[in-house]
Amino acid sequence: HSFSLTLIDALDTLLILGNVSEFQRVVNVLQEGVDFDIDVNASVFETNIRVVGGLLSAHLLSKKAGVEVEVGWPCSGPLLRMAEEAARKLLPAFQTPTGMPYGTVNLLHGVNPGETPVTCTAGIGTFIVEFATLSHLTGDPVFEDVARKALKALWKNRSDIGLVGNHIDVITAKWVAQDAGIGAGVDSYFEYLVKGAILLQDKELMSMFLEYNKAIKNYTKFDDWYLWVQMYKGTVSMPVFQSLEAYWPGLQSLIGDVDNAMRTFLNYYTVWKQFGGLPEFYNIPQGYTVEKREGYPLRPELIESAMYLYRATRDPTLLELGRDAVESIEKISKVDCGFATIKDLRDHRLDNRMESFFLAETVKYLYLLFDPDNFIHNDGSVFDVVVTPYGECILNAGGYIFNTEAHPIDPAALHCCRKQKEEQWEVEDLMREFYSLKRNKKFTLKRASDHGEGESVQDSVDASSENGREKRNSKKNAHSLLSCPSQSFNSKLAVLGQVFLDNT
Amino acid sequence: MTSISSLIRVLLPKVQVLKEDEAREEIQRNHSSCRAKDVTRPAKLPVNFFSTRSPVIDLFRGQLDYADHLRQDSEIVLYFFYAPWCGQSIAAREEIEHVASRLSDQVLFVAVNCWWNQGKCRKQKHFFYFPVIHFYHRSFGPIEYKGPMSAVYIEKFVRRVMTPLLYISSRSKLLDFLSNYEPGVLGYFEFNASPQPPGYLTFFTSALHSLKKDYLGTIRFGVITDKHVAEEISLVHSGSVYLHRHVNTSLIYPNDIMNYTAENICKWALENREMLIRWLRPHGGKSLLLNNELKKGPALLIFIPYNPLAEIHPLLDEITKVALEYHSCNKSQAAEPVLQHLGDVDSPAFDSPVPDVHTELSETFSITKYPCCNTVVLPQWHSISRTHNVCELCINQTFGVKPNKVNVPHCNFLEIEAALDSFYLQEHTFFQVISNTIECSNFLSFYSPFSYYTACCRTVNRHFLSFISSEKTIFQTPKVAFSSHGKKDKDDTQNSIPHIEDRNCFIPDLHDNGTNITGLSCRTNKTLNLYLLDSNLFWIYAERLGASRSTHLKEFAAIVDLKEEVHYVLDQNQSLTGSTLENFIKNFSILYSPLKRHLVDDPSVHFHAQRIITEVTTNTFHDTVFSNEKNVLLLYYAQWCGFCASLNHIFIQLARLLPPDNFTVARIDITRNDLPWEFMTDRLPTILFFPHQRKEQSVKFPEDFPVNLPNLLKFILHYSSLSSSDHCTKECLHKETVLQQGHISHLEREIQKLRSEISALHQAHDKLEEQLSKARREEQRLQQQKHTLEKQHKTLQLHSEQLQSTYDQKNQELLAMAEKLQELADASENLLKENTLLRILVASKEGKLQLKDKAKEPVQSEQTLSDDNDVSVSTAATTLGEKRIDNIDTIETEHSSENRTG
Repeated sequence: HSFSLTLIDALDTLLILGNVSEFQRVVNVLQEGVDFDIDVNASVFETNIRVVGGLLSAHLLSKKAGVEVEVGWPCSGPLLRMAEEAARKLLPAFQTPTGMPYGTVNLLHGVNPGETPVTCTAGIGTFIVEFATLSHLTGDPVFEDVARKALKALWKNRSDIGLVGNHIDVITAKWVAQDAGIGAGVDSYFEYLVKGAILLQDKELMSMFLEYNKAIKNYTKFDDWYLWVQMYKGTVSMPVFQSLEAYWPGLQSLIGDVDNAMRTFLNYYTVWKQFGGLPEFYNIPQGYTVEKREGYPLRPELIESAMYLYRATRDPTLLELGRDAVESIEKISKVDCGFATIKDLRDHRLDNRMESFFLAETVKYLYLLFDPDNFIHNDGSVFDVVVTPYGECILNAGGYIFNTEAHPIDPAALHCCRKQKEEQWEVEDLMREFYSLKRNKKFTLKRASDHGEGESVQDSVDASSENGREKRNSKKNAHSLLSCPSQSFNSKLAVLGQVFLDNT
Repeated sequence: MTSISSLIRVLLPKVQVLKEDEAREEIQRNHSSCRAKDVTRPAKLPVNFFSTRSPVIDLFRGQLDYADHLRQDSEIVLYFFYAPWCGQSIAAREEIEHVASRLSDQVLFVAVNCWWNQGKCRKQKHFFYFPVIHFYHRSFGPIEYKGPMSAVYIEKFVRRVMTPLLYISSRSKLLDFLSNYEPGVLGYFEFNASPQPPGYLTFFTSALHSLKKDYLGTIRFGVITDKHVAEEISLVHSGSVYLHRHVNTSLIYPNDIMNYTAENICKWALENREMLIRWLRPHGGKSLLLNNELKKGPALLIFIPYNPLAEIHPLLDEITKVALEYHSCNKSQAAEPVLQHLGDVDSPAFDSPVPDVHTELSETFSITKYPCCNTVVLPQWHSISRTHNVCELCINQTFGVKPNKVNVPHCNFLEIEAALDSFYLQEHTFFQVISNTIECSNFLSFYSPFSYYTACCRTVNRHFLSFISSEKTIFQTPKVAFSSHGKKDKDDTQNSIPHIEDRNCFIPDLHDNGTNITGLSCRTNKTLNLYLLDSNLFWIYAERLGASRSTHLKEFAAIVDLKEEVHYVLDQNQSLTGSTLENFIKNFSILYSPLKRHLVDDPSVHFHAQRIITEVTTNTFHDTVFSNEKNVLLLYYAQWCGFCASLNHIFIQLARLLPPDNFTVARIDITRNDLPWEFMTDRLPTILFFPHQRKEQSVKFPEDFPVNLPNLLKFILHYSSLSSSDHCTKECLHKETVLQQGHISHLEREIQKLRSEISALHQAHDKLEEQLSKARREEQRLQQQKHTLEKQHKTLQLHSEQLQSTYDQKNQELLAMAEKLQELADASENLLKENTLLRILVASKEGKLQLKDKAKEPVQSEQTLSDDNDVSVSTAATTLGEKRIDNIDTIETEHSSENRTG
């Protein structure tokens, strides 16, 4: 099982690196040899981001990789069916009173009796990207629905000051670990609010994120570092930087907060320069590693942020980090058959393991940082036209959304299957209008129809109250939530380490 | 803003709590359940970082003690502390080697691996970054080098550490020293009595000390030993320290107020130095340098390629001269005695022929240290004033070298002559002015003012290209080149007044009185701060401000006004010279500035006619949007903005739907392309629609509606008006046909699409059929299998029944056997019981026998004895039992030991 896990995880890396033939070979291997009907306890979170995410991205990229796809692609295909099968194995975990999933599920028997109800926040809020994609491609709304329900449950249980803790009991909705921060245990929840909002053009998710962002800035941010605080009181509980937090600048740059992103990134980069990697925990006031957390398993987060920021700023400092990362990984962790986890950054002792995210993420982001012409960076100047039984689709026009395991999802693919037909007819009517000589009709723009059609009454009540809040917000700031601020004048000079204060 | 240090105080106790928290700090991605064994491997042993042939001594095992020991061998030592994995160290290695190859005979270069945790260095030093470069000058040190990691800069610094004090032996050297734009500190020490005059060592140390503080080395230290030379700057007492300033009064170190220590001198010099123009050298780490400098007000950033090792910097000299001019405004201020005295001697020579207008200006010059410069400027005459500026510079350069220097008489003569001539000729033709000044610049041809002058002529000519190409020849044979140019363009110059900045239109507004550069910084309310940047290191900032990427000459100047969010750029068709800079500054300073906000555009975008979405840049914006008969839908986007990129496919679809004859779908990357204010937007994505008949009435797609194809189409339909068909002319009919043709082709495309869709459906259908038949066959096969399985099941059932019956039978037999065994056991138990009873009986018999033996004893004791017997019998029984338990125990221990070995 673990063998195919790394294979699935590293599959799209092969394509991004340009190794098409190996991609094709692996796709064949997977179709023959992967079986999810096994008596194995699997992490719901990990299975989703690695297996479901990896299979979805491989499915969407397979045509580009020269794999002969079946009729109906991208709305059907062997890899998509595998992803769906894997995702279905996870659904039992969501059968809880709160809708928040258990952390572990048995692939064969469902949730084990006596399973702990404590799940970390990220383990609850990191499904929307894969599950919504799955729902849009297969036409079965169940995946997106459970993912949304879990997100809403977390949102409902945030503290009065707007923060979420680290672990929660999915039965009683009581917070078990009340440290609030942006790193371990929480990280990808925030990431998926933003990426979900972008992928689905969803204001509600974005407004959730923006509220969190406010609270995070208010309570956890000091000198461009983000600390850990008590979620109800906002008092600092740990003045540490965790290497997992290094995704944050990248996320900020996606929504246009480039100045803040760069400032935080430069803080993190100093830690890298001190050790040649990022320790799991770094004590900020002491300027050193934290005991038992000195390792660096070649995590991708800082490089990921560098890639996003380089898109935004073209700052050579970011390439310098890339160079440093390549040197470090080569000089420190290269062993005979792979790249070893650095057990201790203080002396660069190595561990006898290589993480699967090294191939899936670290290598991918490093490559993309140095390859501005990679198809992943496509700005929309090239695209593919695909004819499906559901109509014509524009695909691969860029704007790929990476899931938290660095598996790219083409946002255009979500508009390709099933649902599209209605829209097509509407467009057809409009085009007829277009060519008619007299225009009598009035054209009213349509707001987004509410996504979850299969939601229960209770949920819709919740949603309407949330909508009310959203409306109030939108009155305050007139601009759309689904937009970035354009960059300030001084951003022209904000390169090579230069940062500017108060851009407002 | 909470600073880190205050954080430390608040948070330190909490770090202790952390360890307990770790337990619940489950790292999400740590799935370490299937780890084989906790095997780790220590880091690889360190190896040579520098090659063995390198002049750098490489202590790759971090032998810090040996490194310290080496210090005794050399006066100057450079330590290069590195970490072998560090990219920065690796990049700097080459630079250090380069410097070492040039200076290894005078300086000891020692590289120390300060990462290896077994090494002394790592144990004793705690660096937050690598590489770290430390210098020692004998015992003084460490002086940390924090400048750019480039060989020339490092070498320059090494040289400064080698000779922190310049020896000023003569007046000419003194003047050289003083004319430099960098602040200078001079000490006067009489070396006649003791081997070292008192205070000299302190002064020397303060020079070294300044290198520690001011790593760019912009304060120069010099020492004067000659009394007469010292008198030039009115230093009389040995031990005096003097800080030279160009615009403000120079200072003498106040011995009476501050203690005479190296630190104090250095501090004093740093605090009081004059910064007319500053080098900006961002170190690459997070810094607020530009923020702090640019927040002070508008800034002129000048980018020039700079080699710190070069002997002369003509362009730099020219620029600093402009800076000096710009800042010299303290007219009423008294300068230090010597120079004033010198100035007084000279100025009458000027003053006498120069009438009223200039007396005031000549005063300025006599007071400041560059009297000549300020004297001869004629502000009313822009072009003439330029020639005058040239004259000033000549005087400036040679001023004060009055006694016995070759240049001096010439200069004095010429400066007077030039001043006189220019004044006299100001109402005459340009040509004459030029020809006059040519001589002046010719004379001073090895000074930078020369090219300064050249530029003036050029602007008159407006022959930029020919100018650039001819510049070199001008340098060599200036006279000829100049006069010829001047002559040729005589006519031109009269009606085209040179206004350098504006390339499109000619603005004669420099007639304004206040545009004299001299002292402008005090007269204008838009004071500029002047900065220099080395374009070898920081060209990226120039590119960001719009420096053209095509020029290989990396010279560029821009005025950045952070508050107003604008910047202006010195026309890049002109070369960067003193006069162009001067004009640039002047144009910025005057009330109705002719400078136009510079709009940076993205040069990497090439116009693609075939592109389905037109990519607009700053330069093509107007043409695409306005000078166009079509309706234009314009998307403002940025590559980094997630909300924009995910809409790509919608715009592509839209562009494919709309008839290209009537519609343009365009987009502009707003991060790389500036637009005039009225077209700027503060949110991305923004969608604007420009209807073809009323381009000025652009409409914005409402932000609170989702961006999708139907909405976009409705939006366009709503705002794009077709010509109403009420009064239909021929033209209108034609339009209609065009439209209908468009419709037809659209429908044809649709049909095509539908056909392909149908074929896709057919294919899918075939596939399904195939799969269905496959499934049916499969079903049949399964059915058959089911049958055979059922049969097998039946036979198996029979078999199992049989087995069951035999099992029952055997079971019964077993039960019978068990019963028999039970009987046997009972029997043996009975036997055992009997046996014990017998034993007791035997024992009691024996007892009775003994009793009979002791019959002589008294009868009273008989009772007790029988009691005793009872006791002994019971003890016998218990010992028996104990023995048995012991046995069991040993068996058990044996068993468990077996287990362990097994």
